[in-house]
Amino acid sequence: MRKFAAFILTHGRPDNVVTYKTLRACGYTGDVFFIVDNEDATVDRYRANFGAKRVIVFDKKAHADKIDEANNFDNRNVIVHARNASFDIAESLGVTHFVQLDDDYHFFGFRGNDGAKTIRRMDAVFDEVLDFLDSTPTLSVAFAQGGDSIGGFSGVKMKRKAMNSFFCRTDRRFTFLGSINEDVNTYVVEGTRGGIFFTFTGLQLNQPMTQTNDGGMTDIYLKHGTYFKSFTSVLFCPSSVRVAMMGINFPRMHHTIDWRATCPKIVPHHIRRLDA
Amino acid sequence: MKQLTFLEREETGAKKYTAAAGSPLYIPKDRRPHILELRDNSKAQQLLRSIDAAHVTPEEKLFLAYAAQRHTVFNYELIADYYAHATPEMQRLMEESALVIVDIEDAIERGYVRLCESIRRLHMEEVARDA
Repeated sequence: MRKFAAFILTHGRPDNVVTYKTLRACGYTGDVFFIVDNEDATVDRYRANFGAKRVIVFDKKAHADKIDEANNFDNRNVIVHARNASFDIAESLGVTHFVQLDDDYHFFGFRGNDGAKTIRRMDAVFDEVLDFLDSTPTLSVAFAQGGDSIGGFSGVKMKRKAMNSFFCRTDRRFTFLGSINEDVNTYVVEGTRGGIFFTFTGLQLNQPMTQTNDGGMTDIYLKHGTYFKSFTSVLFCPSSVRVAMMGINFPRMHHTIDWRATCPKIVPHHIRRLDA
Repeated sequence: MKQLTFLEREETGAKKYTAAAGSPLYIPKDRRPHILELRDNSKAQQLLRSIDAAHVTPEEKLFLAYAAQRHTVFNYELIADYYAHATPEMQRLMEESALVIVDIEDAIERGYVRLCESIRRLHMEEVARDA
């Protein structure tokens, strides 16, 4: 039997966990846990706000020592360690499925050609996403982000990437890589090896424009700029990732992925001659 | 100009199968690409020439030669096209190396269609409720 929980990965924003309010407003009635690191000075405030049982504290340095951070800055003010800790936490809680959410989402909605509409029965939506996860060999599936539709919605589809809202099975563990741009690093590296990540564009979440919300990852983006962030993914996969300028009003460096050179194609079963 | 062919086209099944709109499946094309088309190793070759001319130890050269392969660009579309025409043994080896992902029992395609339908139904129910 499926045992699901929503994990909100948060740091330094105990009084501003927007995602929690949004989840409840969207009709989610299930368990929520707040994943906080042991270097967060506001842990007690999280406990006071949400109850000690709902706040799970993990050892950030221990997780940092386990992965390739792709730099030697020794800066742990990043989300990757919470992402990796989530699998251990899920195991310890006896959770079979979970979704990792950032703490600043102000919208979850259906997305169609006529725009986005707020979800009011999130439990049912989560069930459908988890059914997809269970019936396929997918490592993780995610909602689209509002930014994906800048320039126009290109229809409901599955994209071969996952960011922000990672729906996971506890028994399909994978490791997030790099201290920054960890989502891209991970779906690119795992993708080249046959790991399947999807974004379902029929569902969407919105969060504030990057680098406008205090706390979280904002500090490291402002400190190093987005070139450093984007180039991390080039280090992990130089054959298919490069950096390029993105945006017109606020141009910034961003990763560009050559998808044809990144993810092995998924082909229909009947093409396989082995079974003939 | 389109080339004339003397032999019948190889049957790949591509014409018999259409993936659902937005599906993550790739339907291989009829053309079987040449094996040399499947990857571009020009950057790797360039690096290998520099490594070969360098005055570093043989062990270092070997390490750098392996690392140079990280710059080989694989074209997974053409690789999937090639897979569709490959022998069973070649197909098996390509699968083992994750050069293609076979949608066993059409699980991904079916799951995708089911997800689209169910999310659309939930969406329409919300719209109707607010009307």
